[in-house]
Amino acid sequence: MAYKVDHEYDYLFKIVLIGDSGVGKSNILSRFTRNEFCLESKSTIGVEFATRTLQVEGKTVKAQIWDTAGQERYRAITSAYYRGAVGALLVYDITKRQTFDNVLRWLRELRDHADSNIVIMMAGNKSDLNHLRAVSTEDAQSLAESEGLSFMETSALEAFNIEKAFQTVLLDIYQIIRKKALAAQESASGTGVPQGTTINVNNMSDNANKKPCCST
Amino acid sequence: SFGFLNVSVASQSEITRRLEKSVGCDNDESKPEGRGLLSRSQITHGEHPLSLGKSSVWNQFFQDAMRNILIVFAKLNPGIRYVQGMNEILAPLFYVFKNDPDVEMAANAEADTFFCFVELLSGFRDHFCQQLDNSNVGIRSTITRLSQLLKEHDEELWRHLEVTTKVNPQFYAFRWITLLLTQEFNFADSLHIWDTLLSDPEGPLETLLRVCCAMLILIRRRLLAGDFTSNLKLLQHYPSANISHLLYVANKLRTQAIG
Repeated sequence: MAYKVDHEYDYLFKIVLIGDSGVGKSNILSRFTRNEFCLESKSTIGVEFATRTLQVEGKTVKAQIWDTAGQERYRAITSAYYRGAVGALLVYDITKRQTFDNVLRWLRELRDHADSNIVIMMAGNKSDLNHLRAVSTEDAQSLAESEGLSFMETSALEAFNIEKAFQTVLLDIYQIIRKKALAAQESASGTGVPQGTTINVNNMSDNANKKPCCST
Repeated sequence: SFGFLNVSVASQSEITRRLEKSVGCDNDESKPEGRGLLSRSQITHGEHPLSLGKSSVWNQFFQDAMRNILIVFAKLNPGIRYVQGMNEILAPLFYVFKNDPDVEMAANAEADTFFCFVELLSGFRDHFCQQLDNSNVGIRSTITRLSQLLKEHDEELWRHLEVTTKVNPQFYAFRWITLLLTQEFNFADSLHIWDTLLSDPEGPLETLLRVCCAMLILIRRRLLAGDFTSNLKLLQHYPSANISHLLYVANKLRTQAIG
């Protein structure tokens, strides 16, 4: 049945897609969750929501992705959606310098409204338009280094690096959570984790009685 | 922000010919709507006034008129300017005026659309204004009114959505209300709903809230069986509906409230 409640995953990770309007956030989302690309896509009003379940290090991870409107007017509304996000894909358009210059503003938004441990991947989208490039890969790389972000150039149109960008974010989140769980277990037992123990990390679920997302 | 507009120029006669061919307001007696009525039942994707398709007459000839309207509106309303989504509200108005079977009327479509757009937005303008988001005329307040309307008419559904599955109405109703449902249904169905929104004596906003509430009630069985994820997906991708029935249910909500 299409509307059944599903619990068939080990982790639920909330990821937000942010960046200026027109950089391709919605197409990144549709490429990742439905393998679709639409040249005539409409402006996102408010927020759009999609999920995809995939394997990370042998665990089933459900990525819950919130695609936000990029226009200034919608920023106050959408920043409320950052709460509980454990990952962010901060997107700019490699052919529009302004969208790259605004990356710092978006980072500030994240610092103000999201969890401080949030994993951030900066994505230089529209790499298929290399002939119109206005942001060099080197500039982006040095910004990513100085701000402590992961970085990749992507193309939703050519399905280039979209999968990899999300996989990287999800793996980073998974490793952070795993490390935390190990540390918690160690301090609880006092002597470290015995071999072969099953570690039950916050059994995150979007079911009625629990928080709709993973909060760290 | 006017990216959807791509302008080219052609002679007026060519425009008229292409438009008639495209939207079917010619003399073809075989069409069920007959002459003089808008052919609303079959509006293909390329015939949507915001279409960017190369063969779309709207893209080729008319989107500059829509752009003009939005630019003038932005200049007259410096506190709001252009907000994404205004184009979606403009499109149905322009479509209807441009398709007027009276050639003289159709020729004045741009001016008529502008007048009606300003008139319509006078009731909805505050939803586009960030400074009013938390005021009693802003979008949040309107969404709260929808939530209260649902609670009044179907408390079980309201409780399941907002308390049990924690679906904040803002997650779906923000777009429903801001865009007057233009992104929730196909274009022909949107026009059908708009006929009701614009003709109801209680005004478009009250009518819109009733239609939104009826949309929730119509799929209550699925919503009551759903969790956070499935409900949010369902509400962000509203299933195609029998619009006459939807409007009937919406109208009943008024009768109940008064009686």
